[in-house]
Amino acid sequence: MMTRRGTTHPGTAPGGGGPAPSRFHIVLPTRSTAAPELPAFVTDVRPALTDPAGRTAVAADLAGLAGALVPFDPGGQESLSVAANVLRRTRHLRVVAGFHTAAATPVYAAKLSASLQRFAAGRLGWRLAVDLDPATARAQGDFLTGPERYARAGEFLTVAKGVWHGGPFEFRGDFYEVAAGGFGPPLSAPPFPEVHLSGTSPEALALSRRHADVHVFAEGDDLDSLVPELPGLRYGVHLASLDRVEEYAGRGVTEFFVQTEDVYRLGEHVKERTVAG
Amino acid sequence: MPVDIYWRIHMEGDQPSLRRRVRSRGGFAPNGTAPGIRDGRDDGYTHADYMAEVARAAEESGFVGGLLPNFPHTDDPWAAAATLARETTSYRFMVAFQPGFLHPVQAARMTATLQRATGGRIVYNVISGGGGPAQLWWGDKVDHDDRYARTSEFLDVLKGVWQGGHTHHGRFYQVEDAGLPEELAGQPFPEIFFSGSSPAAIDAAGRHADYYLSWLEPFDALAEKFDAVRAHSATPPRFAVRVDVLARESEEEAWEEIRQGWEARPRGDDSGGGDSVGVRRSRSFLTEAGDDPRSLEVAPNVWGGFSQLRDGPAFGLVGDYHQVAERLDQLLDLGVDAFILAGIPHLEEARRVGRHVLPLLKGRTS
Repeated sequence: MMTRRGTTHPGTAPGGGGPAPSRFHIVLPTRSTAAPELPAFVTDVRPALTDPAGRTAVAADLAGLAGALVPFDPGGQESLSVAANVLRRTRHLRVVAGFHTAAATPVYAAKLSASLQRFAAGRLGWRLAVDLDPATARAQGDFLTGPERYARAGEFLTVAKGVWHGGPFEFRGDFYEVAAGGFGPPLSAPPFPEVHLSGTSPEALALSRRHADVHVFAEGDDLDSLVPELPGLRYGVHLASLDRVEEYAGRGVTEFFVQTEDVYRLGEHVKERTVAG
Repeated sequence: MPVDIYWRIHMEGDQPSLRRRVRSRGGFAPNGTAPGIRDGRDDGYTHADYMAEVARAAEESGFVGGLLPNFPHTDDPWAAAATLARETTSYRFMVAFQPGFLHPVQAARMTATLQRATGGRIVYNVISGGGGPAQLWWGDKVDHDDRYARTSEFLDVLKGVWQGGHTHHGRFYQVEDAGLPEELAGQPFPEIFFSGSSPAAIDAAGRHADYYLSWLEPFDALAEKFDAVRAHSATPPRFAVRVDVLARESEEEAWEEIRQGWEARPRGDDSGGGDSVGVRRSRSFLTEAGDDPRSLEVAPNVWGGFSQLRDGPAFGLVGDYHQVAERLDQLLDLGVDAFILAGIPHLEEARRVGRHVLPLLKGRTS
């Protein structure tokens, strides 16, 4: 059997004792910003900046941060394509791509992802965006609404996982159908992308219980009542600042998603302090 | 008009030669000795690393880019193009995909993101599906002729989204006020290479194709096919052919390579292809070859046995450098406007063909 770099599951602390370490994930920019003006007398041969995520991801990799999220951003670059580039530019960073369920068939999403896993030592993750604003969803070509979206996401993940490690895989559901499916080697060898899900509705929690590796909360969610409903998962939270890392770590959160212009500072100063705790 | 010559990328892993049918490059053979797997273990050199070498070799050798095909057993071309986008400078990524895989809005967003990353070097190879069991492997239940209707609708929606403010309520797709954000808008729309040999395909090609792409067939059959496409199109597309080449210093050397591959070929079931009309057409030109591979030489240097020596279509050109160049010139005279060439191994043969065959091309005489 093949061994691959970086495929150990990052979820459990070695030895089982003590709190799991906090891991930081940079939310990567998916929109370009204009470069600052240089004084007119300075020779300016700067190329156009088309890779905002790449620069930030490299900084995160160098800073030794655990991961990065390429969010599903209807107003920005497409996340799976950005993730592919980011994976190529880094060596250790785990990269989670956010996308919505109607973007691709589950078999194709899985196949594309299997190649990315092969190219990048199994560092890809998925963040499924299920609860889209209705107008955004329709502009993406998705007219499904309400709890049915969670039923479809459940089927999507069942099919994607079903074809991943070989076949023959048979499936006939309300949304998808596969006959004699399943990847052959070597596509079937890498790990399935780590699944990150979010939401606080009963349907969202039920989906996470079945399919998530990590459930990601928003700042302010009532973790004390939600975490007991999601046994055995890892928990993440999006934070606007790092002031509340310790507080959330005390409630069982290990994955911290932050957006910062200054990845270097986070890696060299804040992270060390927080992890040393 | 200049002729665009592409070089294929093996998405299925590469063989070290046609003499031995083992895809040891790219991590596809469990006991390969090429970089990627050594002594049964992953050595950290990935298929993407090797494909990057092939892309750079093609770019340096005179090819405008490469076709990245897509089958159930291969790596994925969108993943490969997105991974390699920033590692080449002029190389065009011709991404093969079936409209059923992606929603057109998603396809537009992925394409525009890669157009930004590459400065407009994405090209489409739109395939409507090999069909049969393979189609259900993909989770696609739409049947043969309907898949072309879907392809047409897919491309209509994709182009509408590209323009922006697009609303569409159709048979396969609906969108409301769909478009690309400022970050992605204003990129060139990719050229479309359209594949498909059935009447339904040719009909759809007439509406959407910049290039109608065919596998190599015996030249007169190819000419007939082009005529059929012209007859079905208000504005006829340009024509492209996908041609395997085995070119060597001498003709004997080239056929010796074939003979050795032929003797070592695994004898197996060659009945795949689902409801693909292209596959059925190819087979109809051939009879059983037995022990003599040259009995599949249907016209000088046009050999129909490649599918026995590697994955892919049956026909290709075998000969010395001048003979292969002459046949390619003949195809130009037949109305071909672009080539997708291929050879095994893809890395070394890209350099060989770029160095020894492309400089001999004379172009169209008529």
